[in-house]
Amino acid sequence: MSEPAVEVKNLTKVFTLGLKKEYVVAIDNLSFEVKAGEVYGLIGPNGSGKSTTMKVVLGLMAPSKGEAKVFGLDSGDIRARNEIGFLPENPYFYKHLSGAETLRFYGKLCGMRGRELENRVTELLKLVDLEGAANRRLGGYSKGMLQRIGLAQSLVQNPRLVILDEPTAGVDPIGSRHIRDLIMRLRDEGYTVFLCSHLLEQVQEVCDRVGILFQGRMRKEGRLEELIAIEDQTTLTLEGASPELLARLHQLVASEPDARIVAEGHPRTSLEHLFIQIAERSREASK
Amino acid sequence: MNADSTAPNPPLRGAARPVPLFSPGRVATIASGTVTQLVRMKTFYFLLAFALVVVAVGNFNLPATPAKELSMIKKVSFGTMDLFAWLFAIVATALLIPRDQEDRTLYTILSKPVRRIEYLLGKLCGVLVVVGVSLVLMYGICATMIGARESLFVSAEIEAMTANGGYSQEEIDEQVGLIRQQGLRPELGLAVLASFLKAAVVAAVTIFLSTFASSSLFTIIVSILIFLIGHAHTMASSFWLHSSDNSLFVQMLVKVVKILIPDFQLYSFSEGIIQGEVVAYALVGQMGLVTAGYLAVFLLLSLLVFVDKEF
Ligand SMILES: Nc1ncnc2c1ncn2[C@@H]1O[C@H](COP(=O)(O)OP(=O)(O)OP(=O)(O)O)[C@@H](O)[C@H]1O
Ligand SMILES: [Mg+2]
Repeated sequence: MSEPAVEVKNLTKVFTLGLKKEYVVAIDNLSFEVKAGEVYGLIGPNGSGKSTTMKVVLGLMAPSKGEAKVFGLDSGDIRARNEIGFLPENPYFYKHLSGAETLRFYGKLCGMRGRELENRVTELLKLVDLEGAANRRLGGYSKGMLQRIGLAQSLVQNPRLVILDEPTAGVDPIGSRHIRDLIMRLRDEGYTVFLCSHLLEQVQEVCDRVGILFQGRMRKEGRLEELIAIEDQTTLTLEGASPELLARLHQLVASEPDARIVAEGHPRTSLEHLFIQIAERSREASK
Repeated sequence: MNADSTAPNPPLRGAARPVPLFSPGRVATIASGTVTQLVRMKTFYFLLAFALVVVAVGNFNLPATPAKELSMIKKVSFGTMDLFAWLFAIVATALLIPRDQEDRTLYTILSKPVRRIEYLLGKLCGVLVVVGVSLVLMYGICATMIGARESLFVSAEIEAMTANGGYSQEEIDEQVGLIRQQGLRPELGLAVLASFLKAAVVAAVTIFLSTFASSSLFTIIVSILIFLIGHAHTMASSFWLHSSDNSLFVQMLVKVVKILIPDFQLYSFSEGIIQGEVVAYALVGQMGLVTAGYLAVFLLLSLLVFVDKEF
């Protein structure tokens, strides 16, 4: 097996507040691994240390104790950063630059030039669906557009690992659907994705494995299906069932000594689902 | 690791290209980004105001000799140029770096393979390119004005003296020489250079302050104070050194202060140039060396703070 994309070992991060001897332990002896090629989600409430963990992995902060490695390189190493694309939470970029100029700027920082850079910029603008806004200044971008240009920016040098801090925060359901589709596409293209969020449903949809962080400590970690499956229950969804059929089913279940019906009712579409459906329909209609 | 049920394990991506340890290209990218930012903040509109000042001063008809009038145009316009250079260097530098930090643009820049020294150097170079280009343009405006006035004065003087008839050619040449002395002379370029170097030093001081100061306002005020104190360098240090309380502590303090507050008096020979005096070229060389020294010291100090800074 290839080396892990991210390897965090016994990481502790303590912040000292002011001149007084007051400490905040943001991360407490945290260890985990993100395997190459997987989508790993770190979930936890506000202030649980998700962003701090990411900043240490990026080398923006030094660990107080322990270590963080990216493809075997120490996170403080400049070479490690060449392997990482990063989207910070609530990203802001230079408002005076257009979308295309922003991508060019970050591409140049990664040593890209000329044709190679131009091709990459065009490709990325297409990927995040911003071709139409390529020459508009970011000052006029909406939240969702900023998030998408941020995602494109993180991919500019073709990194192996993409770190996304709350990639769908503040984005409407359609926009966040779009971003989730992109993340799945990234995985299909062989990127490793390390993301964090407190929007559980969204994590559920894209992540192969998740870690649950609480007050700086890893409380539970594993493959998503294993974590959330209720092993001894089964869901059955029927269509066009007559009352007689239902009555017979009830009888059948009652005749089994160990089985019982836990819940019965009409499944609902989720509000998100409904929202997307309506949006799609009105888009069709306006065509 | 058990096989993934949803994805048929796609081929993993290859390792990235090698990263140079220090890249002038990255410095240039950040510098040109800074220039774009300053230009799009409409910085160069200031030049219009400057042109107006110069034209206004140039067309002021003073009851003075032509030489005095030329000298006065130079004083005002070079004074304005100098003021613009150092004030702009301080304010732009003090605003840009904290802004990157607040906007989190700094996160995205530093999470690319960019060294922190490259970032600082890039910002400094960007600000200095704008200062340099502005100075050259302002000098162009100034030189056009001075040149025009000078030739006007010279021809008027020759005409008046020949019309009068009582003057020899030598006398006429002498009068013309006096005017030319205050006119457009190549040495004036050195005064512009002095303003530029001074701005470079004060920008480096500002970068150093903004690596640890918590607000731009603080950085701007302290930088201006250092700049002003730096003009009274000899006075300040001789006052402290010769005061009665000459303990070792005070002496050390004065030494530290002497390094931390650059001696901006070094650049004041440019006032002589503006007044049409002869330049000691040794001074110019010395100015270049000292500037390089100050830049190195302040960039190094900034790096010491910035390299371990957490965001
Ligand atoms: N620079 C800092 N100085 C002091 N304390 C900090 C700093 N950065 C983070 N902290 C503290 O560390 C803890 C973890 O913060 P962090 O930003 O990592 O949380 P998070 O999980 O990303 O939360 P959110 O969901 O709100 O983004 C918090 O208690 C926070 O107050
Ligand atoms: Mg966070």
